[in-house]
Amino acid sequence: MIRENPFVYYGKKLFVFLLSLFILSLAVFFISRLAPGDPLVSYYGDRVEKMSVEEREWAENKLGLNESLPVQYGRWAKNALCGDFGISYKYKMEASEVIGERIGNTLVLGGIGFLLTFVLALGLGILCAYYEDKWLDKLLCRVGTITSCIPEFWLSLVLILIFSVNLNLLPGSGAYSIGNKDDFGDRMLHLVLPLAVVVINHLWYYAYMVRNKLLEEVRAEYVLLGKAKGLSKRKIIFRHCLRNIMPSYLSLMAISVPHIMGGTYIIETVFSYPGIGKLATESARYKDYNLLMLICLISGAVVILCNIIAQIINERIDPRMRESRHIEEGEVAENGK
Amino acid sequence: MSDILKIENLSVNFRSEDGESEVVRGVSFSLKSGETLAIVGESGSGKSVLAKSIMKLLPHNAYIKEGEILLNDIDITSYTERDMQKLRGSVLSMIFQDPMTSLNPTISIGKQIAEAVRLHSPKMKRADVKSRVIELMELVGIENAEERYNLYPHNFSGGMRQRSALAIAIAQNPAILFADEPTTSLDVTTQLQILDLLRDIQKKLGMAVVFITHDLGVVARIADRVAVMYSGKIVEIGTAEEIFYDPKHPYTWGLMKSLPSFAEKGKELYTISGFPPSPGDLPKGDAFAPRNEYALRIDYEEMPPMFKVSDTHYAATWLLDSRAPKVLPPVRRDMNV
Repeated sequence: MIRENPFVYYGKKLFVFLLSLFILSLAVFFISRLAPGDPLVSYYGDRVEKMSVEEREWAENKLGLNESLPVQYGRWAKNALCGDFGISYKYKMEASEVIGERIGNTLVLGGIGFLLTFVLALGLGILCAYYEDKWLDKLLCRVGTITSCIPEFWLSLVLILIFSVNLNLLPGSGAYSIGNKDDFGDRMLHLVLPLAVVVINHLWYYAYMVRNKLLEEVRAEYVLLGKAKGLSKRKIIFRHCLRNIMPSYLSLMAISVPHIMGGTYIIETVFSYPGIGKLATESARYKDYNLLMLICLISGAVVILCNIIAQIINERIDPRMRESRHIEEGEVAENGK
Repeated sequence: MSDILKIENLSVNFRSEDGESEVVRGVSFSLKSGETLAIVGESGSGKSVLAKSIMKLLPHNAYIKEGEILLNDIDITSYTERDMQKLRGSVLSMIFQDPMTSLNPTISIGKQIAEAVRLHSPKMKRADVKSRVIELMELVGIENAEERYNLYPHNFSGGMRQRSALAIAIAQNPAILFADEPTTSLDVTTQLQILDLLRDIQKKLGMAVVFITHDLGVVARIADRVAVMYSGKIVEIGTAEEIFYDPKHPYTWGLMKSLPSFAEKGKELYTISGFPPSPGDLPKGDAFAPRNEYALRIDYEEMPPMFKVSDTHYAATWLLDSRAPKVLPPVRRDMNV
């Protein structure tokens, strides 16, 4: 097989990426505007109720809401291409600035949650595979199935009830206590419960995947030869099997980034954690169009990017592609026999 | 020569949802150091399971029901996995049928052999390990070993892979090598090369080989002694000469008659009619009786014991009882296999 020119290969991926973003922006723009609700509420608050018809018209004109939808989209797209995503109606400042303030919090929660899930799932999967069908594996499988079925909003509420309301051990909302913005320890304490929910919710899904992939691998014939030469089960799992499932695990985890990120959006809302997830729910609720557009585009970009990365990893590790690259060496080996 | 391996009345059962099936039934044989014993039988006759049960490489659902495995007069039947790890590779070793799957696809050939070298001598220096690996690769007939050290299994042809697997198996000079149909998946010329190589190495290292195969042609080329298995039992055992020139069991006759070299020109190749019984549902009496043209009434009633033909030759058929009618074997004595 002839390998594609890398410029063409990545160019195609980039095109898909941009096209998907364009379609996403169209969808979000029209759906959000066709959905019921009054964007003026988000800008003027309760005063909207007392506004006269003229005042409303003036306000709509000011925010550019009185034109037809395609014209509005055209104007938004033109500005967006120049890097201007408009102002947030609620915060009265650049939407990108509002997000800039919060995105760090989300990255901390999502990032640590993702890494914890990634590492713990691997460990748990190996543990289950090692003790296949022993009581530990059976117990973990059952507990895991149950925990992964608990909805995250409910789990969040229960954890808040237990650990912050009843036991008063951990804070149940926000990212830091008032006045402690720069206190690292305080921030960490605030992260414990949201992180616990992120991890508990996603852990088993991935651990089970690792377990099953390993068990498939353990049944491969090379494991028998490894045992026949005197390797212990532990060495076989760590040196041989794990190595063989890592590529597919990595590509799986790349796909899982949006999955885990979506989870943090809900968790942020329940924990009133000031990240872009909470911002997203707020802006959708109050028709803060510009903010909503930008958040959707950023989230969408992450999702599409992660899928493309997963796709690239997958194509790279496909043994048939490796085979084709080595075909000449293989023939040499055959002839030299 | 003394017996290094002695198997006494070994039975291996498989558990399944439909109940137990007896795959190896009361097998006894012994192996002298340096000799080659071929175990011949159809697929499903339990020959491979027999070897794996001695190596303790049985699948989860199989277990040794009764019997003894004596290695150098030490009973290893109840050895734990940890005890077996010390024996595997250094005393007992094994190669498998399919060299395509018995090597780990993601680790280079050199490293896979090095792993076996280092296993029982962990203090060996890196350079010494490498030179030992190259020595082994040359011993099994891999040319340009130094260059091929870093190649992967998929760069190698089937024959080269089987050579690599053999290098792994003999890395620690085992006393006994189990070869589980090592040439079945190879083409005919490669088959002969591997067989000659195996003989050659066996002489150099003085190891005993238990060669499992369904191919009598292969047996003639390599075996000192032959055991014929049917439905989990050894039905006839003797020196290669005795089995080939003076077979006593009707099943051995059938196997001989179905060899292409025995067929008369222009006539169809002989086949033993019918199928072997399922190990979960064995008939009463001799399991071969329903397919046996020479079956006596007692064959359907009672399992024949091992009748002694000579000090080295035994066969389990009622035809050898003094009261049985004399049957002339249908296989020519001067047969050239």
